[in-house]
Amino acid sequence: MIKIEKLEKVYKTEEVETTALNGIDLYVKEGEFVSIMGPSGCGKSTLLNVMGLLDKPESGSYKFIDTELLTLNDRERSNFRKRNMGFVFQNFNLIDELTVFENIELPLIYNKVPATERKKLVNEIIERMNIVNRSGHFPQQLSGGQQQRVAVARALVTKPKLVLADEPTGNLDSSHGNEVMELLCELNETGTTIVMVTHSSHDASFSNRIINLKDGHVISEKVNKSRNEELI
Amino acid sequence: MFKLNLKIALRNLWRNKGITAINVGGLAIALAAFILVMLYFTYETSFDKTNPNYKNIYVVGRIYPDFKTNYTPPPLGKAIKQHFPEVEKMGITKGIFFELVLKNGNNTVFTNNFLQADYTAAEILDLKPTGGLEKPAGDVERLSYLSKESMKALFPNKTDNKPEMVTVGSSLMGIKNKINGSIINNPHSNVTFDGVSIGNELGQGENYGHNNYTTYLQLKPGTDVANLQEKITRLYHAELLKGETDRETIDKIKGISTFLDPLANQHLKPKAGNDAPYKILIALSVLGILILIIACVNFTNLSIAQATKRAKEVGVKKVMGAFRFQLALQFLTEILMQCFAATVLALILAELVLPGFNNLFLLKLSIWHADNGLIWQLPLILFLITVIAGIYPAMVLSGFKPALVLKGNFATSKQSYWLRNGLLVFQFSIAVIFIIGLFIINAQLKYMRSQDLGFKAEQVVYIKNIALFSDPDKFEPVREKILKIPGIKSATVATGIPNGTANGTNTYTSNGVQASINYLDVDFDYFETLDIKLKEGRFFSKAFKTDTANSAVINESAAAKYGLSNPIGQTIIGCNTNYKIVGVIKDFKDRGFENATQPTIYAIKDPCGNPKMEIMLKIEENKMADALAALKAQWPEINKLDGENFRYAFLDELYGKLFKKQEQLQSVFFAAAVLTVFIALLGLYAFAKYITNGRLKEIAVRKILGATDVQLLKLINSSFFILVVIANIISWPVAYIVTNMWLKTFAYRIDFPVLPFVTTTLITLLLTIVTVSIQAKKAVNANPVDALKYE
Ligand SMILES: Nc1ncnc2c1ncn2[C@@H]1O[C@H](COP(=O)(O)OP(=O)(O)OP(=O)(O)O)[C@@H](O)[C@H]1O
Ligand SMILES: [Mg+2]
Repeated sequence: MIKIEKLEKVYKTEEVETTALNGIDLYVKEGEFVSIMGPSGCGKSTLLNVMGLLDKPESGSYKFIDTELLTLNDRERSNFRKRNMGFVFQNFNLIDELTVFENIELPLIYNKVPATERKKLVNEIIERMNIVNRSGHFPQQLSGGQQQRVAVARALVTKPKLVLADEPTGNLDSSHGNEVMELLCELNETGTTIVMVTHSSHDASFSNRIINLKDGHVISEKVNKSRNEELI
Repeated sequence: MFKLNLKIALRNLWRNKGITAINVGGLAIALAAFILVMLYFTYETSFDKTNPNYKNIYVVGRIYPDFKTNYTPPPLGKAIKQHFPEVEKMGITKGIFFELVLKNGNNTVFTNNFLQADYTAAEILDLKPTGGLEKPAGDVERLSYLSKESMKALFPNKTDNKPEMVTVGSSLMGIKNKINGSIINNPHSNVTFDGVSIGNELGQGENYGHNNYTTYLQLKPGTDVANLQEKITRLYHAELLKGETDRETIDKIKGISTFLDPLANQHLKPKAGNDAPYKILIALSVLGILILIIACVNFTNLSIAQATKRAKEVGVKKVMGAFRFQLALQFLTEILMQCFAATVLALILAELVLPGFNNLFLLKLSIWHADNGLIWQLPLILFLITVIAGIYPAMVLSGFKPALVLKGNFATSKQSYWLRNGLLVFQFSIAVIFIIGLFIINAQLKYMRSQDLGFKAEQVVYIKNIALFSDPDKFEPVREKILKIPGIKSATVATGIPNGTANGTNTYTSNGVQASINYLDVDFDYFETLDIKLKEGRFFSKAFKTDTANSAVINESAAAKYGLSNPIGQTIIGCNTNYKIVGVIKDFKDRGFENATQPTIYAIKDPCGNPKMEIMLKIEENKMADALAALKAQWPEINKLDGENFRYAFLDELYGKLFKKQEQLQSVFFAAAVLTVFIALLGLYAFAKYITNGRLKEIAVRKILGATDVQLLKLINSSFFILVVIANIISWPVAYIVTNMWLKTFAYRIDFPVLPFVTTTLITLLLTIVTVSIQAKKAVNANPVDALKYE
C-alpha cells in the first residue's frame, strides 16, 4: 500500500545541517503492522511525520496505493490526511478543554460527517474501547492508559486506512502499555494498516515486521515469524 | 549579577522587538494623551496662582431668589471693610466693555476691555504696571495703563517708561488722553484686560442701587469664611433696610443674601456662573486617567502573554538558588526600562501634538515650562505606571514553580479569565461610545453645513462702524457712495447681524393677541443683501413713503404666533406705533442651529429700538478684493466718524463661529475615538496572543485532525467576536442617551440616526477579526509537529 523510495530530509538551522533521513526505502503492505526501531535521534519520528504528511522531505518519492503524495499541495495533503490517516502520540495530545466524547468526535466534524452519524460512530468506538462511563470526562480526569485509549479511539473513528503511532506506550507503565498494544492488535486484525515507532522490543513483538533505523538509514528488517504464523 | 540581568533583559526585549515596540509604543501614546490632559489640568486649576494672596482673596456676590450675581454696589464693600476687622483689604473694579479706538499718529489699537480698578483692588489683584504700582493722587486722578502689546503697537520705538499722549476716537474727532505706561495682561488670570485705569476710589456718590462693580476682599489668614459670609448678609440687609417701611420691599430685601466666592474658584466653578469648564475638566481628566490605566493593564497582559518564553529562565535560576524577590526585582527593572522609554517617547509625541491641541482650545500650553508641574509629575507617573504595569507580571513570572516549569508543564491560571474578558469588553465599550458619538457629531455638522439657512452669508461683508444710522436719510448718502464702487451690489444697515446673537424683545399686539416677540430694526435692502426669501407681500422699498414711517415685515413664526392667516395689510401695534404689515418673510436661521428662529418683526422706524450701526454689503465674488481695497481707500470720506479705521469681517466667517464649539467637540471625539480604539485593539492583541499561546497544542492537534485554516481562524476569533458584540450592546444605551442629549441642544437637528450604531459594530468587529487573525495566523500557519514536539 505504501511505497517509499530514496526519502531524504535535512533540518537546517543557523549553525548545523542535520540529515534526519538519508535515503530511506520502505514499503508497507495493506493490513500490515510495522514497527520502526532505532536509537534516539536516528530519524524515526521524522519518518513518521513525513508519512503522516506533517512534514515535507527534500527529495524522494512516497506512493500511497498509486498516488504520489509528495507532489500534493498543502490543501490536498490536508484533505488526504484527514480521510486516510489517524495519529497516536506518545503524549496523547488530547484537547484539555474538550470531553472524551468531543475529542473523539473532532476528526469527524472536520470530515464533515453529519451530527447523527457522528454520534453513532463515536458511541460505537467508545464502547469498543471500553470507556463508555468516561465519555463525559475531561482528559485530566483520566489515567494515562485511559487517555491513550481515547487518543486511539480518536485516531480510529474516521476508519482510516493507515494509523501512525509514535511511541504510543512511551508514557505508560507496562500494564497500561499492554492494554494499548492489544488494542492496536485488535485493530490490525480488522484490517487497519499500522506503522508504529517504539523503543520497546516487547511492543515490537506485537507487529508483523520490525524495521531498524540508524542515522537516517534502514539498516535491517526482520519479519516477526510468530506473529505472521498467528495471522495465517 | 545586575549586569547579567541587564544583558538578559536587553536581549529579551530585542528578541521580541515587535512586542516590545507595541508595548512601549502603546504605553507612550496613552501617556502622551495623559501628559496633555495633565498640562491642561494644571493650567486650568492654576489661574491667578501667582498672586501671593491667592488663598485669601474672595469675590463678594449676591443671591436673589432666582439668580446669583457677582455684581455688587460700591457702598457694600466700604461697609464690609468698616465693620469687619478680618477683612484686610477691600477693592472694587468695573469693566468698560465697549470698543475704544486709541491712536498715535498712524498707529491704531482697539480696546474692548478697559478695566477700572481702585488702588486697593489693584493691590489685591497684584496688577503690575511696568515700574511698579503707583498710588494716584487725590480723588480725581486716574492712572491709565495699556497692555504691553497695545503699547508696543502704538509706540513701537518706545524704550523708556514715560507717560504718552494718545488720541481716543478717529483723528478728526481727536480727544487726547494720557497713558501712564504699560501693564502686563496675564491671560492666566481671572482678571484680564486690554488696559487698566486706576483711581484711588471708584463709585463715589453711587448707592446700593448701582450694582455694577465687582468687590474683592483679601481676608486675614484663618478667617472663618462661612461666618463672615453670614455677617455680610446681615450687614447688607441692615444697610438696605435703613428707612424702609414698605412691607413688600422689606420682604424682597430679606430675600437677597450674599456669598463669598474664593478667587481660586472663579475660573472653573464660580458660584455666579456655570461650572461647565469644571465638568469638562473633570471629564477630560477621568478620560486621561482611564486611558493610562487601561494602557498599563494592556501592558501587563502583553507582558504576561510573553511569560511562557521566560518560564524556563525562571525555573533554571530558581534551581540555582535565586530568591523570588531577586527575580521580581529583575522583571520590575525590565519593565521600568520600558516605561522609561515610553515616557521619553510620550514627551516627544506630546510635543508634536501640542500645537494642534493649543490651536483647538485656544491655549498656549508648553511642555518646557518650569511652572507646569511636569518636572515632579513625570517621575511620579513613571513610578506609578511601573508599579501598576509591572507588579503583576513580576509576581507571576517570579512565582513559577521550577519543577513544573522545567518539565514543561506550564499553565497560567484561569482565574483572571473573567477579569480579562471584562477588561476587554470595557475597553471596547468606551471605544464604541466614542465612535458612535463621532459619527453622530459628524452627521449633525454635515447637516448644519449643508442645510439651507434661509439666507446667504456668503459674499456679505460686515463693516465695523461707530457712527449711528438710525435715520434712513442719514444712511442714504453713505449707501450711494458705497454703491458707486464696482462689484458692490447692495448696502444696508441694521441693529444686528445674523451671527447668532439674540435680538431684543418687546410686546406687540395684533389680531387681538398680545405677545412678546423679537424685533430688529433694518434699512432698505436688508432682506435683499442677505438673500432672505419672501413668502408673501413685499420687502421694504423706497417707492413707498410709508415704509420709513410705519411699515413692518414679519416672519412666518410671528404670523403664526398671532394667528394671522392673511397678514398683509393687518396692523401690529407696539412701541406706540401702529405698524402695517407689508410683507411676510420665510423664517431664516439667524441664530444658528442651537436656537430656534424666534417670531420677529422688522421695521425701519422704531422709536424703542437701538441705534442702527451694523453695515452689511453684498459684493460680487470676483470683485471682492478690489471692492474691499476701494472701500478702505474711500472710507474716511464715506464715513467720517470711523475715518481711517476701516474694519470688516465676512459674515459667513462670523456665522461659522457658531460651529466652532461643535468642531472642537468633533476634534476631541475624533482624538478620543482613535485613541480608545487603538488602545482597545492593543489590549485585544495582547489578549489574543495570550489565548493563542495557550492553545498552540490544541491548534496543532486540530490541524492534524484535518481542520482547515479558515476553521481554525474562526475558532480563535469566535470568543473575541462575542466579547466585542457584548461591548457594542452595552454601549448602545449609553451612547444613545448621551448623543440624544447632545442633539437635543439643537433646535434644528438630524433625526436620530441608527446607522452609526450599525456601522460602529461592523467597524469594531472588522478590526477585531483583523487583529485576532494577525495574531492567530502565526499559530495556524506553524507546523503542528513543532507545537507538539516539546511538550
Ligand atoms: N525541527 C528540527 N530542527 C532541526 N533538527 C531536527 C528537528 N527535528 C529533528 N531534528 C533532528 O533530526 C534528527 C532526527 O530526529 P527525530 O526526532 O526523527 O529522532 P527520533 O529517532 O524520533 O529520536 P527519539 O527516539 O529520541 O524520539 C535528530 O538528530 C534531531 O536532532
Ligand atoms: Mg521520536
